Amino acid sequence: MGQKNDSIATYDYGIVKMFSVMSIAYAVVGFLVGIILALELAFPELNGGIPYISFGRLRPLHTSAVIFAFGGSVLFATTYYVVQRTCRARLFSDFLSKLTFWGWNLIVVLVVVTYPLGLSQGMEYAEMIWPIDLLIVVVWVAYFINFVGTLAKRKDQHIFVANWFFLAFIITVALLHIINNLAVPVSITASYPVWSGVQSAMIQWWYGHNAVGFFLTAAFLGMMYYFVPKQAERPIYSYRLSIVHFWSLVFLYIWAGPHHLHYTALPDWAGTLGATFSIMLLLPSWGGMINGIMTLSGAWHKLRTDPILRFFIISLSFYGMSTFEGPMMAIKEVNALSHYTDWTVGHVHSGALGWVAMVSFASLYHMIPKLWGTTIHSVKLINLHFWLATVGVVIYIVAMWISGVMQGLMWRAYDDFGNLTYSFAETVAAMHPYYFIRAIGGIVFLLGALVMVYNIYMTISTAKDRPVVAA
Amino acid sequence: MADEKEVETTGHQWDDEEGYPLKEYNNPLPKWWLYSYYATIVYAVVYWVLYPAWPIPGGEFTKGVLGWSQYKQLDEEMAAGVAARKPFNDKLAALTTAEITKDSQLLQYAVSAGKAIFGDNCAPCHGSGGVGSRAGGFPTLVDDDWLYGGTVEQISETIHGGRAGQMPAHLDSANGSFTAAQVDDLAQYTLSLSGSSTDSAAVGRGDALYHGDAGCNYCHGDSGKGALLGSAGGEKLDASIGAPNLTDGIWLYGGDAKTVRTSIANGRNGKMPAWATDTEGTNRKLDELEIKQLSIYVHTLGGGK
Amino acid sequence: MKHETIEKSIPLMAILTFVVVLIGGIVEIVPLFYIESTIEKVEGMRPYTPLELRGQDIYIREGCYNCHSQMIRPFRDEQERYGHYSLAAESMYDHPFQWGSKRTGPDLARVGGKYSNLWHQAHMKNPRDMVPESVMPAYPWLVENDLEYGNITKRMEVLQLVGVPYSKEQIENAVADLKAQAIPDSDSDALLARYGEKVTLQNFDGEPARITELDAIVAYLQVLGTMVDFSSYQAQAR
Repeated sequence: MGQKNDSIATYDYGIVKMFSVMSIAYAVVGFLVGIILALELAFPELNGGIPYISFGRLRPLHTSAVIFAFGGSVLFATTYYVVQRTCRARLFSDFLSKLTFWGWNLIVVLVVVTYPLGLSQGMEYAEMIWPIDLLIVVVWVAYFINFVGTLAKRKDQHIFVANWFFLAFIITVALLHIINNLAVPVSITASYPVWSGVQSAMIQWWYGHNAVGFFLTAAFLGMMYYFVPKQAERPIYSYRLSIVHFWSLVFLYIWAGPHHLHYTALPDWAGTLGATFSIMLLLPSWGGMINGIMTLSGAWHKLRTDPILRFFIISLSFYGMSTFEGPMMAIKEVNALSHYTDWTVGHVHSGALGWVAMVSFASLYHMIPKLWGTTIHSVKLINLHFWLATVGVVIYIVAMWISGVMQGLMWRAYDDFGNLTYSFAETVAAMHPYYFIRAIGGIVFLLGALVMVYNIYMTISTAKDRPVVAA
Repeated sequence: MADEKEVETTGHQWDDEEGYPLKEYNNPLPKWWLYSYYATIVYAVVYWVLYPAWPIPGGEFTKGVLGWSQYKQLDEEMAAGVAARKPFNDKLAALTTAEITKDSQLLQYAVSAGKAIFGDNCAPCHGSGGVGSRAGGFPTLVDDDWLYGGTVEQISETIHGGRAGQMPAHLDSANGSFTAAQVDDLAQYTLSLSGSSTDSAAVGRGDALYHGDAGCNYCHGDSGKGALLGSAGGEKLDASIGAPNLTDGIWLYGGDAKTVRTSIANGRNGKMPAWATDTEGTNRKLDELEIKQLSIYVHTLGGGK
Repeated sequence: MKHETIEKSIPLMAILTFVVVLIGGIVEIVPLFYIESTIEKVEGMRPYTPLELRGQDIYIREGCYNCHSQMIRPFRDEQERYGHYSLAAESMYDHPFQWGSKRTGPDLARVGGKYSNLWHQAHMKNPRDMVPESVMPAYPWLVENDLEYGNITKRMEVLQLVGVPYSKEQIENAVADLKAQAIPDSDSDALLARYGEKVTLQNFDGEPARITELDAIVAYLQVLGTMVDFSSYQAQAR
């Protein structure tokens, strides 16, 4: 078997290791900032009058830290890992690999510095000021070339399904990022976007929704397509389903943006398209879940002993749940209630914590021992992490469901005479217990991540004690 | 290697050097999945026929056979709201305040409507239920102390046109230059009116200023009872000045020596915005009926007269 | 064409993906620029004055849009709570739009003129002094910081470039207009001539001698939702 491992020896695992470690660090930072924000809403004096950590400046830092720093690093790590292994080729260019690593981390550092200073474009998930936006373009082009260059070196003619998703993710994010961030600079830190008003709203949510769609869904589905069969040691359930749901997802997702703008000054027709395409998106989204879960059929017994597989299954379950909840919330009547409330926040976190973070944890647990040629330090601690993460997410989501639905109903409550029952301030007061409970959920989730940090640290630092001889 | 399903995979294989090689079965699309997918497409197509949906050439879009628009939906909602409240509103508009207060159901209605308006428009300054604000300068509405009068009519007048505080500055200002020491004396005298002064010598000097050079009595009255209750030189004071009663220990900006001193030194120009539809300055306007409802509600809050 | 062909070719895969992804965006975005009913024709909309513009910059800097919407939906409860539903025309000079996506605090689309400047001063200093239920952070630094307006002319030039109809006079007199609006008792005739009689001239921050960031943000908040003359507006299908 020795000669079969020839290509493994040539892979660039160094870059994957670097991104993996950074992703765990950023996860902790992102979750921690999230908890601070949750507590600030429960106890509004918490920022102590300090501008740099006031809610409005810190919230973009949380979203960017989680999506771009944590999510982005996991994606760099796993795409670089998966594309090498599925193409049996070393990454296209060591220089581009390093450029993406240092570039991406520089972007994160710049974000961490600029946001608390209040340097922001004022668009959700696209707050980065224009020089950072340009830097992202440079890194992204390097990423694209590096990824495609590696694909071109593949030994099998067929491109593995995970790489379809990765490719779609890289291309689409580039398109979204460039169009949404077109702006004219005023100074090195300030600019005004080209778009205004209703067009600006539409373009922002075309971007914002598909940042979710392609960054947090398509790309992570790509991860799932590699790591689930690898961990379950089963073939992927259906190649045909992969094809149908991939193209459906890629085509339909992009239309769903206007569901963030129901009943606004966006014209009715655009809202209709957003709602209907969101509904049509349900089954294509579920295609990924079916392919993931059914890959395990015949290996269910492994769930009892393998907490990594359990992580995969729960992440796919949350994925299925949020991709069901999403289209429901895109229906105008439901959206009329849910929009502007914590229900949306809960929905996002069932996707971001339940799906994105969990599938990332699972993939990292699978990948890191392989990168360092060792086995995991403690399977028990993975199990502990699994339970902390699951309980944390559930507390979080339930609290936000209750507060969101309650606030939505309170806003539109009428007394017997047909007069509004509650003032806005009264609805804010009613949120307090749930804001506190939500923070608890976040803390439990963070504890899980800290368990992971310890486990991974031990795995890496004592890797030499548990060498795995190549099979 | 004796996996009997091996034969059913597509035959392609990736990453087969370490761990389990990646392979794919080619199971058919699950029937329930496929038909559900079709169902959502049918749902969408039907929706497009019924509702505004597709932009079309010529700068137009398909309007949908139902003729629905979100603004038509609003019109219906608003009309339903108007219809539900019409019986009460008609009565409310026709009757006088005295008659309204005798009809307990109508009064209940007016209070419910007034409370709804108050919660989002007035409470941000006057506090939930009219308890006033911690910041000072925004009067509580639950006590018996009114600056401009506490009858429903007077309250209504206040809401209609708003009010502007007119306490002038006294410390080295154009209105009359007084020294810091004199301002201190005035503050001590003012505090003495409610029995909380600490310096009797200063009170005596302040008394002279109050009724003399500073002319405080022209607004607050000879006895300091304010524009509503007080009088100066035997004449009743103009209630629209809104000069507060200084004898009752109720303070708009605070009754400690420092705050009273600041009020005298710098003056106070608190503003209550005008809310009637024909006035300028505010955005959310209140129509006559709403002002009536609100006035009745505010009147019931506490010490309504 | 069999999928085998596509999945064996990177260019084919990439180009097809790109095309497929492009369609939805084009159909949903491009018509918004040419369907005339998208932005209502209304009376009264004007670009922000220099002071109000700096106020919006600070609104964005502080991330107010994270908790406040500026978009009243056409529902009975929202109309009764906040006033007339928002029009597309009302945000046509906002680069970028500030419709928001969350109401941790109330909608601000028509907050203009609703509360006095004194209220805003006290509220920014400590929101819970005014509204005990509030979870908004305090913004004590706004009144402490002098307003930075050195590049106001450049800012207006950039906005003009991206479509905000500032006139040459408005841009040339940006600094003077900013001062005229924020400092009480200054000569404001020229400002009113350039931006209309409805512009409010006040001491927004309670600090007559200084132009602070609080001046700017309160001036901005006080103009929100007040521009359009609704007596001349007729709803139409959009």
